[in-house]
Amino acid sequence: MKNACSKKNAPNPLQQKVYNILNPFEEFKTFQFHKMEIPLDQIVQSTEVVMDQIRLGYERLLEEEAKELVWMVQYNTIIKAYEVAEKYIKEIDYSAEDIEDFCFALESPHKIPYLIPGPAGIYISALCNYAKEEEIVLKLSELKTEINLIGFRLPKGKRLMVEGDTGDFTGIGLEGGELEVEGNAKNWTGAGMRSGKILVKKNIGLHTGEWMMGGEIYVGGRVRGLGNIVEGKVYERDKLVYPGKVRYPNPYY
Amino acid sequence: MNDRKVLVVEKNGYQKQVMAIYQFISDHLYFNRPDIEIKGEPYNSAILLSLLTGLTKGKELIIGEPGLGKTTSAEFICSLAYQFPLGVIWGSEVSGHPEQTEEKIIGRPDLGKLNRGEEDVVWTNFSQMPVKIVDEINRLPETKQSMILDGVDRGNWEYLNEMIINDEYCLFATANYQDGGTNTLIAPLVDRFDVIVESRYPGANLSFLIGKSHGKDHILRHPKYEKDLYRVLKSKIAHQKKIPKMEEICNAFGEYVQETLGVKPLKREDRDRIRTEMESLDLDTDASAFARMLLAELSFCDRYGQKRVVENCEEGCHYTGYLCRQIKNCASNRLPTSIKLFSQGLAWLLGDSEIDIEHVKAVMPFTLSHRVQWKDEVLSQKERAKRDDPFQIFLAKEAVKTVSQRYREQSDHLKDALAVGSKIFQGESLEPLEGDHPIYTEIKKDIRHRRNH
Repeated sequence: MKNACSKKNAPNPLQQKVYNILNPFEEFKTFQFHKMEIPLDQIVQSTEVVMDQIRLGYERLLEEEAKELVWMVQYNTIIKAYEVAEKYIKEIDYSAEDIEDFCFALESPHKIPYLIPGPAGIYISALCNYAKEEEIVLKLSELKTEINLIGFRLPKGKRLMVEGDTGDFTGIGLEGGELEVEGNAKNWTGAGMRSGKILVKKNIGLHTGEWMMGGEIYVGGRVRGLGNIVEGKVYERDKLVYPGKVRYPNPYY
Repeated sequence: MNDRKVLVVEKNGYQKQVMAIYQFISDHLYFNRPDIEIKGEPYNSAILLSLLTGLTKGKELIIGEPGLGKTTSAEFICSLAYQFPLGVIWGSEVSGHPEQTEEKIIGRPDLGKLNRGEEDVVWTNFSQMPVKIVDEINRLPETKQSMILDGVDRGNWEYLNEMIINDEYCLFATANYQDGGTNTLIAPLVDRFDVIVESRYPGANLSFLIGKSHGKDHILRHPKYEKDLYRVLKSKIAHQKKIPKMEEICNAFGEYVQETLGVKPLKREDRDRIRTEMESLDLDTDASAFARMLLAELSFCDRYGQKRVVENCEEGCHYTGYLCRQIKNCASNRLPTSIKLFSQGLAWLLGDSEIDIEHVKAVMPFTLSHRVQWKDEVLSQKERAKRDDPFQIFLAKEAVKTVSQRYREQSDHLKDALAVGSKIFQGESLEPLEGDHPIYTEIKKDIRHRRNH
């Protein structure tokens, strides 16, 4: 028994060896190291964190407003979607570059599985409206899909420039902001806008300025058709086309 | 110089005493120009490093043209740092020549006792003295150089199954540049020297002054004490018993020097105290990381695991830009010992509380230059570069400068990598840091070894 006890208490020579292992870095035992990151790593890392938040907001918007991936453009659906988008965006600290990155991410299925142009446009508009920057440039000329509803409710003091074409409902409900599209804009541009300025460098579609309450629309190319305008001005190649004789009566109205 | 020295005086009296010896030699005995700058102060490398050799129990190889004071500088240092009259130092010197024998260097049989059938050894003054000077060591044939390897390295002198061990000793060897009568110093002997230094031409004007002054050798002589010391050295008592007797005479000579010359040589207890103080100085993290970085470059080989003089690394290696590509041999374990020893000595002398990177950078070229074998292409590339130093020391200084530049660029990252290494050794679950330098690979190798345990 005595022998067994003494054997039990004897230090395990192998264990001792591990504990006594020489530390060749002993001098640095108390040195406080900090994880070194090169600036690019930090930028990439912080951008990814922000992008994740933005993506999450968009996915929640789809979950709430585009169940079964169908979204109908109606006055109340737009308002509702915008409110949902606002709710998520207010919690994110992002910059104008992040909005542009999000636009590109929309076309990468591994980043964002579903691109539904309506909610996407509402979400981008909300991002632009709540961005810190007063002037935002979105380089969308490489995008294969035209985003609808860009510039929705763009407030006074904001200037949004879009390089490339935009889809339907561009700049609707504009609230004093300045929207500039380098390419073409489709139908219902400036519908319901209250004030501000829309400049489309190339052509514009049908129903331009539908229920427009104020502001100005400048078109560098051709206006395919004007909508029922309440108040405001529309220029085609520097020539005032509204108020004035409506050259293109709306065949669908 | 003198703000720092004033600070030193307040901090510790020994630094002042040693600097006074430096100044005395510089002003009266060994005329030369300052050739290195440490922390903004100019120094003469031959006097400074010889003094540190004496204080740290080191080994120094002094090279230079004939007649430029290689041996004399060592003699003056030995005399003032160990309180020996010059006559005794001269009588204990060993000179390198082809006919040199073990009997003349280490000891011989006691012939009187041998006649009576007893075996005893009469030790030479050289083997018994704590200060050892080998004059013109490269005139010793290569086969005979091996004879003094152990004595040079450990202070153990062995003859006829008897041995004396020098507890305290320093060694100076002088070597001329290659001429008809010189031999190559064998690598194991060269590696045993902590530092190499050149005794340089002082310039035409100082040289002219040396020519005019006579009798400077004699100011450190004292025939009576020399005779007394010889008597002790020749006495038949055990070596250990001779030491206190020699110290007594040395102390008397020291007092004589202080009275006549105004400079106070170092007593045995002074030297012991100084060494204790030096040993308490540690390298700070920068000095340690920098030394590790240099050692990694001097020993690393990605292809063959480490540098070996018999293996030539290939073209196209990732580490082409580092020193490992330019050298043939691997740094020995004596190199870091020498770096630490002399950095400690220098930090102490300058009154600093720890060894910093400046101390390490100052001594490194002198600890390195004799130990590195450069590849022929490097030698031919740099041979004609404009320089003040002998070629080997010049190459070493350039190498230290290059590594220092690299260290400046990544010091924070390297210290972090070493700290992470330490944490992993303490059992923390971390990953070693990556970096583009052989040292990071070395750190990873050590960590792998730790994890395999």
